[in-house]
This record gives sequence, structure tokens and C-alpha cells, in this order.
Amino acid sequence: MFSEDTILLFYEITDVIIAGLSTGSVYALMAVGMTLVYGVTKAFNFAYGDFFNMGGYFAWILIVGLGLEFGGYPVILLIVMPLLFAVGYGLEKLLVAPLRKRKDWENKVMMMTLGLALFLTSLYMVVFGVRMKSLPPILEGTLEVGQLVFSYQDIMIFVMSISGILIFAWMLNNTRIGMAVRAVAQNPVGATIVGIPKERIFATTFAISTVMVGFGGILLSQKWFINPNSGGIIMVKAWVVTALGGMGSIRGGLYAAFIIGMLEAFVGWMFGMSYGIIALFVLLLATLVLRPQGLRGKGE
Amino acid sequence: MRLKHMIAIIGVCYGIMAVLPIFVGDIRFVMNIMIMCLIWAVVASCWDLMMGFAGIFSFGQVAFFVMGAYCSGILAIEHSVPPVLAILMAGLFTAVMGVLVGLPCLKLAGPYIALVTFGVHMALQPVLRGKIGIAIGSGGSVGLLTIPPVSIFGHAFSSANMVPTFYLTLLLSLSCVLVIMFTIKSYWGVAFLALKDSQDFAMSLGISAFKYKLMVFALTSFLTGIIGAYYGHFYGVLSYRMLDLDLFSILMVMMLVGGLGHFPGSVFGAFLVVAGSELMAPLGAYRAVTMGALVVILVLALPNGVMGLFIGRRKRLSAG
Amino acid sequence: MLSVNKLNAYYGEAQVLHNVSVSVDRGQVVVMLGPNGHGKSTLLKAICGLAESVDGEISYQGQPIDHLSTDKLVNMGVAYIAENRELFPYMTVQDNLKLGAYVKAARPHEKKNMAQVFSLFPRLKERRTQLASTMSGGEAKMLAVARGLMSNADFLCIDEPSLGLQPSLRMELFSTIKEINSQGKTILLVEQNIPHIADLADKVYVMEEGRISFEGNSKEALGDKHLKEIFLGM
Repeated sequence: MFSEDTILLFYEITDVIIAGLSTGSVYALMAVGMTLVYGVTKAFNFAYGDFFNMGGYFAWILIVGLGLEFGGYPVILLIVMPLLFAVGYGLEKLLVAPLRKRKDWENKVMMMTLGLALFLTSLYMVVFGVRMKSLPPILEGTLEVGQLVFSYQDIMIFVMSISGILIFAWMLNNTRIGMAVRAVAQNPVGATIVGIPKERIFATTFAISTVMVGFGGILLSQKWFINPNSGGIIMVKAWVVTALGGMGSIRGGLYAAFIIGMLEAFVGWMFGMSYGIIALFVLLLATLVLRPQGLRGKGE
Repeated sequence: MRLKHMIAIIGVCYGIMAVLPIFVGDIRFVMNIMIMCLIWAVVASCWDLMMGFAGIFSFGQVAFFVMGAYCSGILAIEHSVPPVLAILMAGLFTAVMGVLVGLPCLKLAGPYIALVTFGVHMALQPVLRGKIGIAIGSGGSVGLLTIPPVSIFGHAFSSANMVPTFYLTLLLSLSCVLVIMFTIKSYWGVAFLALKDSQDFAMSLGISAFKYKLMVFALTSFLTGIIGAYYGHFYGVLSYRMLDLDLFSILMVMMLVGGLGHFPGSVFGAFLVVAGSELMAPLGAYRAVTMGALVVILVLALPNGVMGLFIGRRKRLSAG
Repeated sequence: MLSVNKLNAYYGEAQVLHNVSVSVDRGQVVVMLGPNGHGKSTLLKAICGLAESVDGEISYQGQPIDHLSTDKLVNMGVAYIAENRELFPYMTVQDNLKLGAYVKAARPHEKKNMAQVFSLFPRLKERRTQLASTMSGGEAKMLAVARGLMSNADFLCIDEPSLGLQPSLRMELFSTIKEINSQGKTILLVEQNIPHIADLADKVYVMEEGRISFEGNSKEALGDKHLKEIFLGM
């Protein structure tokens, strides 16, 4: 019925869609983390992309460096996620909190995190070398549905990212800490009045976002390589997604993430990967000019 | 800071610079560093004017520098435009780009401006490296290798004759810095202080934030573009690697050391940091790590940079 | 129960409170009157850990509290109810109240206090699933007070609760405050203008320009012509 070319094209497009979905899901994870941090602490973290790589590198150290074979990924995650949490918490308390007392503190935080980004990027280069690393996939192999072939890797990435987001959303809405976080985001003065320890919530939120983005790093590093220099680009991507979705809206971030994941996949397929960034940038400019509050604007 | 003090500090810095060739004129290595100091002083001061003074959090300064450099280089190589003219045209081009970037940015709040301009910076790299860049003559990943030096009345100012080139650079650098100083001290300057303190009130007085901010974008990108173009003609070589975060952070360190918003701290900061960075060259790959750590430490520990020490002392004197 | 001794407070370079001394005994309702912007709110904030540059002595039940953070104070039983209400706009009335009971000391009493709050403010009970941002001015004030009660505090610092309310609502609010007091809470209340002060206050202070210019009971306050005109709305 259809020509062979059309069928092949169909398969190629399905591949691109799957790729877009899996990267989109990780972008969603990152966007949620970024919205969380910015919405609650109002601090902008330029080193976000380097935290992404941090997750990948931690996992790499455990798997390739130390040859952790038993237990596989669940063990890796059990070790790396608390580690990321500790790093995030510590960094916030040590580097961000002192700046909050100064005037212009948001700007100072941006500058400081930029320095942090450079520090981490060059540290990675020194410690791990310029060459890119890769992580083995969580699940090898492919799933065949009729004539379509899906790789388990993409499926797992998608499933795990979405699970991460769902777990996070559950925590935000159903736990006391989650409520406290939402309270601080909606009204920091009110939160203090009610007796919520604001500083601790800031640090916790920062830590959670570090875990989320690091987790995303572990997931995506299975598919792509860990590039020590990619911190800046990843941060910009995460921010484009967040801005498109609307800073402060989790649902908006989700939509935007998938849109951008798809866009990147298609542009990359049609023109080549390096044009992905330009497409992103154009999209960003368009958003800022046409609809600055993003897809879903304010609110939680 | 009073005009007198600003002039004094600039005078001292440039004065010392002007005299140094007498002692080290034949040490190429040192002369090279000094020329770099002078060039970066302009960029750092422009960035300080933008961020510290006008309060616009733009991360696009390096991008404009590179744009100016490439523009002038391409004009000179591909289109045989004489370097002096090319530099001027590059400055104008960069100014236009500055306005184009500024127009959408200025409607946004702080972090957004930073990110859009940072995005410009990040997007510039693939453009220069990729097909578009090659098409206009950027040399792709190789870059430009044969930029002709500035020549005035037949005299070429290149690394072949350092001393005259040095003085030309000094003149250019000083002029740019003086332009910035007069901007700060002029009516514009007062307007900016008002805008920074209380935007709503200033606007009610008829001070158009938008207009002034756009002018700052134009002015700083013009100056940065010019000095970037000059850099290209001096060095003769350009590469997209200038856009790495390395340079970016070094510039930040210059401003932080000098003290954000405390002009002419960034001039002083530039001199200090360029010299220090050269001293750190043996660290190799660790240099960037140190730079990054320095930025973090400086933001936390020295909110007003070196100028802060100076101001602090004066305050204490007047209080006591 | 609460005593403030020689308190000075600064806002930047300007001094807002000068050597202020105030005391509140257990079970009392103490009202502080005074013109706008003369430091009354700052005093409340200083007591509740929300002011920045403060020096002097503040002690609660004999213990010094002047450098304690707000969360510790709430745990000790000192709660602040802001003039601006400072509610959580995108959360329901019920969630706002729940958050009022966030601190450890308040959690075990959450259910009991919620029931009590609903009986004091039936209108809040009706609107419990509505978002706080949809509340009218009066309802928002009620919610702020109710949220403060959820902290199980024994000492309440209430900042201008009746500001901006219609006269009928103001009367209602003051009588509710009286009721709260009769349930055993000690209250330090800041207001600009209370007509029926005798019904409410056990003690009256007046703050002008950051200094206490009057201290006495409500009978003495009513006897002072200056006070009557300016603060007691007569």
C-alpha cells in the first residue's frame, strides 16, 4: 500500500519521536528542578549544568572507575543520590546563604554560581580528562512491537524520569516538608511567621534540585556522552525549557520539556546536531517577545 | 567617587603604564602582557558600566568582543578594508548588534537578561564554527589566521615593533576609559544612579529607563567591539575558543577584584588580573580551576573588590 | 509574662525605637496605640524575631528571647499575626491553617485547635476549601488570626487586625479577640484607633516617635483628653 520509502520514513520518524520523548523526559526532570529552586529560593544557579554532569561523573566513578558490578543501577542510585543531596545542601549553606544578606544578592548569586560553573567544568577536565565518557545503559536490548523497534534504554530513561517527577510531585503535595516548600515559595514572610525554618528549606530545596538534575545526568549520560565542557549549554537548555514553560509552573515545564525534546530531535535529524542550539535560541527569543510568561505563567 | 579621584586613579594607572616601556621596552613578553592589560581594561570597564553601574545584568560582553574582532578581521581579509576603517566599522556593527540584543532584553527582569545574553554568547560559538560562519569567512574551527595589523600612514603597528604599538594601545585604551568615565559622571550617570536606586521614582521624573539602558548597550558594545577589533589586528589570529568560559570568568574576576560599580576599579582589576593570570600560566589546566574558585571566593569575601578597601578606609575616617 | 526593657531598633541608619520598655502579664490584653509609622509594628516584630537591627532585652516567661529566631519563638508559644496577613495565596483556607500548626509544639494539637478556630470563625469553616487569595479583606484578617491560633501559642502579637475593615467587622473582630483572651491567651495588640477600649484592654500604651508616651489602664487612658481625641475615636 505505501511505498517502501514511506514506510522507512515512518520508522525513522518514530525513532526520532522516541528519542525526543526520552530526552524530553529528562529535560522535564531538569526543568522541574530548576523551577523548584528558582521559585522557592529565588536564586539562579549557573552551575546547574555542571551538577547534571556531576551526577554522570559520580555514576561513572562507581561503575567504570571502581567497577561496581553487583546490584547494578539501583545500588548506584542509592549511593549517588544522597551524595548529590549532600553536595547541594552543603553548597547552598556555604556559598548561597551568606550572599542572601547582601543587597543585589540575586546578581551576586548569579556571579558566584558562574564562578562555580567554571570551577566545576575545569575540575572535571583536570580530573576526568577532556575525552568524553559514557555510561552503560540500564537495560540493554530492544523491544519489538510489530515492525517497530524500541530500545529498552529509551524506555527506561523515559520511565525513570517520569517516575522521578511523579514521586517529587507526590512529595510536594502530600508531605509536611512539601507543604513547607510550597509555603516558602508562595510567601516567605508568611512561612517565617508560621515558624517554618526558611533557611533550612532553602538548603533542602537546593539539594533536591541538585539530586533531580544529577539524576537526569545519570540517565542521559547513558544515551549521550558526558562532556566536561557541556555544563554551560545544558544549563541554558534547562533554562530555555523552564522559561518556555513559565518559571514557577511545573506543568508548563513538563509541556515545554517535551516540546523542546522533540524539537531538538527533529532539528538534529534534519539538519545536524549543532543546529539544535540555534533552534532553541530562536524559540527562546520568540517566547520572550511573544509570550514572556511562558506557556503556563505563574502559580504552582 | 568624585571625578577628581577617578581621574587620579586612572592617571596613576596609565601613567605608570606609560613609563614602564623605558625599563622593559625590549622584553617582548612583558610588553605583550601590558598590551593585554590595556585591552582588557576597556572590556572590563565596559562590563562594569553595564553591570555595576547601569545595573543591567548582561553576560554578553565577551560575545561582543569576539563579534567586533571577527567582523574587523573578516572585513580586512575578505574585503581588503584597511584596518583602521575596519575597526571603526566593526565597532559600529557591534553597536548595532548590541542594540538588537538590548531591545528584547530590556523588557525582562534580571536573570532573564543574563540568560539571553549568555545564550547569545553560547550561540555564537556554533555559528562561527559552522557553515554560516565559514560562509562569511570566519574560518570555521580554524579561525582567522592572517589578520593584517593596523597601519597608519604606512607604519605598521604589530608585534614587530612593540613600543609604538604599545603606545597606540595605551592611547586607545585611555580614550575608551575616559569616554566611560565621562559617561558615568555626566547627566547619564546621575540618571543611572537614580534608576538603580528606585526605578519607579526615576521614571516618574521622566527618566526613561529603556532609552538609557539601550544607550548603555550601544555604547558598551561599540567600545568593546572597537577594542575587540583592535585585538584582532594586534594578535593577527582569532579563534572561536575565545568564547570558552575561561575568558569569561577572567573578565568577571577583573570586575570583582576591582569592585563592581566602583569605576575605575575594573581598570585596576584588569591590570592586576592579567598580570596575575600570566603568572599563573605554569598552572596549565589548573588555572581555570583556580579562576573559578577565585570568582566564588571574591563574590563571597570581597563584595566591593579592591576599591572596597579604599572606600572603607575613607568612610571610617569620616565617621571617626 | 513578657517584658521588654530598653529596646532600641534601627532601620538602616535611622533609629526607630528609643529605649522602649513594655510589660505584659499573663492573661492580659495590652493595647498599644499610636500614629502610623512610629514604631508600633517594629516593636511587635522585634519581639517575634522578625526585626533586623535590635538591641535591648526582651524576655518571655523569665527567659531572654531577644536573639531567638521566629521558629524557636513559635515553638515557645509566641506567635505573630501580621498587619499584611501574609497568607499563602494558592493554598486553601484549611491548608493555611494546617501550616499554622507547622511547628513541633503545635502539631499534636492541630485537630483540637482547628475545631476551636472554626467555632470562633464560622465563616472560615464555610470557606475551608477555598483558596486564600479569594478571601475578602475581612475574611483574610480572620484567617490570619486563626492561623496564628493554630500555633497553639499562649502569647499573641497582633498587628492592626482591624485596619481597613468596615465598622461592623471591626466590632466582630474585637469581640473575637476578647473571646480568645477569655480562653486563656495573652494578647499584645497594636492598633491605631479603638473606640471601645475599656471593654478590651487591661493596659494601654501609646507610642509616639518610637518612644512610649503613655502607660496606664484603660480608665486612665479615657481620662486623658489628648488620647481620647486622637486614638480613641471620640
